[in-house]
Amino acid sequence: MRIGVDTGGTFTDFVRVDSRGLATHKVRSTPDDPSRAILEGLSALGLDMSGGSAAATPGRDVVVHGSTVATNAVLERRGARVALVATAGFEDVIHIGRQTRPELYNIFVKPRVPLVDRGLVFGVRERLDANGAVITPLDPAEVDRLALALQSGGADIVAVCLLHSYVNPAHEQLVAARLRTAGLTVCTSAEVLPEYREFERWSTTVVNAYVTPLMDRYLGRLQAALGRAASLAIMQSNGGSISAAAARAQAVRTVLSGPAAGVVGAREVAAAAGFRHVISFDMGGTSTDVSLVDNSIRTTTDARVGDFPVRVPVIDIHTVGAGGGSIAAVDSGGALRVGPRSAGAEPGPACYGSGTDLTVTDANLLLGRLDPAHFFGGRMTLDLGRSEAAAAPVAAQLKLSIAELAEGVVRVANANMERAIRVVSVERGYDPRDFSLLAFGGAGGMHACEIADALEMKTVIVPRQAGVLSALGMLVADVTRDYSASVLRRATELSAKDLDARYQPLLAQASRDLAVEGFSGSRAVRARWIDVRYVGQSYEITLPYAAGYRAAFDRLHGKTYGYANPDRPVEVVNIRVVAHGRAAKPRLPRAKSLRTSTPKPLAIRRARFDGRLWKTATYQWEALAAGAHARGPAVIMGAEATAVVPPGWAFHVDRMGNVICAHTSR
Amino acid sequence: MRIHPVEFEVFKNLYLAIAEEMGVTLCRTGFSPNIKERLDYSCAVYDADGETIAQGDHMPVHLGAMPLSVRAAIDSVDMRAGDIVVLNDPFHGGTHLPDITLVSPVFIGAKDRTPTFYVANRAHHSDVGGMSPGSMPVAREIYQEGLIIPPVRLVRGQGHGSREGAIDQAVWSMILANVRTPDERAGDLSAQIAANRVAERRLLDVVRKYGKTRAVGYARGLQDYTERVVRAAIRKIPDGVYEFADALDNDGFRNAPVHIRAALTIRGAHATVDFTGSDPQVEGSVNANFAITLSACLYAFRCLVEEDVLYNAGVARPLTVIAPPGSIVNAERPSAVAGGNVETSQRITDVVLGALGRALPERVPAASQGTMNNITLGGVDPRTGARFAYYETMGGGMGARLGMDGLSGVHTHMSNTRNTPVEAIEHYLPVRITRYGLRRHSGGAGTSRGGDGIVREYEMLTETSVTLLSDRRERPPYGAEGGEPGACGRNTLIRKRDAGDAGREKAGREKEERLPGKVQLTLQAGDRLRIETPGGGGYGRRAR
Repeated sequence: MRIGVDTGGTFTDFVRVDSRGLATHKVRSTPDDPSRAILEGLSALGLDMSGGSAAATPGRDVVVHGSTVATNAVLERRGARVALVATAGFEDVIHIGRQTRPELYNIFVKPRVPLVDRGLVFGVRERLDANGAVITPLDPAEVDRLALALQSGGADIVAVCLLHSYVNPAHEQLVAARLRTAGLTVCTSAEVLPEYREFERWSTTVVNAYVTPLMDRYLGRLQAALGRAASLAIMQSNGGSISAAAARAQAVRTVLSGPAAGVVGAREVAAAAGFRHVISFDMGGTSTDVSLVDNSIRTTTDARVGDFPVRVPVIDIHTVGAGGGSIAAVDSGGALRVGPRSAGAEPGPACYGSGTDLTVTDANLLLGRLDPAHFFGGRMTLDLGRSEAAAAPVAAQLKLSIAELAEGVVRVANANMERAIRVVSVERGYDPRDFSLLAFGGAGGMHACEIADALEMKTVIVPRQAGVLSALGMLVADVTRDYSASVLRRATELSAKDLDARYQPLLAQASRDLAVEGFSGSRAVRARWIDVRYVGQSYEITLPYAAGYRAAFDRLHGKTYGYANPDRPVEVVNIRVVAHGRAAKPRLPRAKSLRTSTPKPLAIRRARFDGRLWKTATYQWEALAAGAHARGPAVIMGAEATAVVPPGWAFHVDRMGNVICAHTSR
Repeated sequence: MRIHPVEFEVFKNLYLAIAEEMGVTLCRTGFSPNIKERLDYSCAVYDADGETIAQGDHMPVHLGAMPLSVRAAIDSVDMRAGDIVVLNDPFHGGTHLPDITLVSPVFIGAKDRTPTFYVANRAHHSDVGGMSPGSMPVAREIYQEGLIIPPVRLVRGQGHGSREGAIDQAVWSMILANVRTPDERAGDLSAQIAANRVAERRLLDVVRKYGKTRAVGYARGLQDYTERVVRAAIRKIPDGVYEFADALDNDGFRNAPVHIRAALTIRGAHATVDFTGSDPQVEGSVNANFAITLSACLYAFRCLVEEDVLYNAGVARPLTVIAPPGSIVNAERPSAVAGGNVETSQRITDVVLGALGRALPERVPAASQGTMNNITLGGVDPRTGARFAYYETMGGGMGARLGMDGLSGVHTHMSNTRNTPVEAIEHYLPVRITRYGLRRHSGGAGTSRGGDGIVREYEMLTETSVTLLSDRRERPPYGAEGGEPGACGRNTLIRKRDAGDAGREKAGREKEERLPGKVQLTLQAGDRLRIETPGGGGYGRRAR
């Protein structure tokens, strides 16, 4: 069997696939030690961890796990004590960054505090030039003296970051070897990210050092607990998984894995339902993640964790700090604001019973778009009176009725979401009208149709697995590893043979690593990519490498940026290899037949849309058969999520149990 | 029209998103590092009167200048649908010559006689001709600084009902014939055209969806809202007259300080900043035109507002700025202005904030580095035989605040550009960076400390022409509330020693020579240039 495990703030989600098909499970998270909830869920799903059993065959049962342990370590600054060894004269690079201040008009802007204490930064005399030639040789005796200082400094791990190591890693390797001999744990910048731009490479290396010891301990414990019952794989930010052993060595590649798995799951269910061009819209309690899938998932090397750039490939996701728990309030100029303050999971929206602030979820309840008796499959009852009490003072301040205010809160929240979707589509050269909106997360399905309306998108998909999509994504993720090397040469100076020679070591490493992960033959796929830009530009475009890459680059530049110049010389910045070990894809359960039917509503309630009340049918999702269809307004309440179908929209249930909404006049 | 609080927030998002989408288009399609890497540009949407509706969080020094560009375009060119006007004339809507602005009218109906909106974007071009590569010379008159473009039609619309236009090849080739890197300019100008087109389309979408009455009504509502918030902030300042003065070290020619004086008068919810008494315009290039002075004032008052309000014309309404014509803060043709934008703008900000500090000491910081440390390198790369031209600015110390130290090694006030990586510079230029770090203890002492400046050392690998345009080399950034001033910046030349003792490089003493703040000189291979940027002033008297 294969089990995907997603550790979230409130729940740990499980999706299992085996010969019996697909099963899902949820357990309350145990933040003090996330592995407790994991082990509890795994045994509930029938994984035998009695240990010592010689019968268990490693490699047959696989657990794929994604967690926020590494992300939270950075955001909450609970990571390792990191020492930095940098080229002498450049010790402050990590502190200076790119010289920008984070906010333009804020006199009281807070400093960005690096993950390395100043007292643990050491310079080492050495220097390479931009071609990797040695200008100042490294003195081994100086490194040995440094080892003593590092030992007495009490560092958990040392990040070795030297200039131009992406061309020639010899000095970094020499420093690392001697420090390791002295018993220190070391990572070097050329190992983590052999690409030019010192601040970004060093920042990625320091983040790696900061989270690696913690992840190493955490995954070590988890592996020990699993014993030989199953092999453990870890979700990465690039949307693929790797073995726990590899993740323990380079934890930076896992820091943004949670939202990444959601996009992988979104793509999987969308493709199964016949949609290849979707924008995934994951609206949770405090934040919303949006990503564009144009057949394939888009990755970027322009990500950050907290204040720190992390340049390893990650899925291109835009996050906004607004969700179902965002608080509505009036600012000093008399305007209605929604967020960035959030009621979060604790105390949560007023209607959950402890909070007193008006949130987006309260607004949905006040509008009749949620049925207080059937929330989350009846696991939770909502208190309408508390929402009204929270809304009253805000409504009075704005001289609006409570109903008008509630509708306004939803509209303002939607306006924020609309902007987020424009960022991943319009700003990347895509027209949102060519895409369907795939909504998940607790609140996604409640807002998706109105947002799609505003963007003139025709179709909204709310998947049956909306509540466990990240865990599903982990289950279906390929084993993926990234390799790169800087080139920085004009295309005219590089023959196909030169490039082949440069790709060779990356391809060889990829094959070795895939073999270690247990993949060979047709299940081991290595793809070559290339980063190209016009000479003089500072940002490059990543595209698949093929003989005609030059022309392909011009076409892609034209599509993304509106113009191209085939006469202008181009430069190859980096080459990349992505290795995929193809995971066996489970077939999502689907009904054998699809019979058109008109479902019977659970209740007819009154809900507010466009400034007036409408008779609105409420359905229980799980009771809807494949082929059921009806016109909006309608509310479909499921155990995992709620879908709201406004007037002017209709929905049907497909063979996988997904709710597919379509605009009736488009 | 009643302003509905919900619609209001929706429109705020719409207009800001348009300004930001323009910026993204420009950044992604631009060619020169100035646009793509350093993000030296601004984009905004204007109403029918040329008043700002929304400006993205781009470059503060462009704040006051952008609407003046739109005004100059309106006054000079009878714009029709699809037209785009180009300009950079500092005495006709521009700031300094490298900043080129494109203005487009947005007509809604096919029969409309006047535009309903305007859109504009301004970008810093790496070269616009003139006496030195990079067009940031130590000059005596504007004619030496580069090509001057008065407001002229760059793109000719196809008349009513059409959104397309054709580039005026006469203007286009005239511009490209006068610059050192015409391909790059053509690429950047194309990107600027694309940015305006994006905004035009988006504004038409907004009107199509919400109607012209609401779109225009809420645009006004957004301006009124920002005005209310700024007035509320001014009302918190005690009524009175607050004076402050500071100076630039010199103008690059005469060794005498250039004084800037301001009297800030607060009456209820209105503020007047009067620069009467500031020195006359000077021979060198540090002259500021009125647009820059206005930008500095707008920036200072925008900083007073703690909430994240949309930047628009509402910030300017409660302010009156008086700048005597012919003075350093309102220079007239034909004075040189390249440094006014980057250096004098910072000093004007120091003076306005200094005056505000007299009224609100707990809200206003000590002086930040007060310069952008402009350095331009040019020559012939021996590896390729090709000419190179490179421009960068450098961050420094931020002034200390009440209860908070200043940030170290950052761009402050009127600039927020990014630096270029050492590994990128060394790859593309015959230059080696031999040191790059924070300049310890350069921040002024106090109960909170000023931020530290930066030290950056360049070793030339070939004969290189160098232009430095920097300030705060003689007069330090002031401290506040008894805090110590930050350290002055320092420019040092370290000559390679003669051939006779070149063999024993580290053995003897190297010859160090202090350079002035503003200088143009030629360095030889092996010569080093050390730039130490100023620290920020300290805040509060430290107990001794």
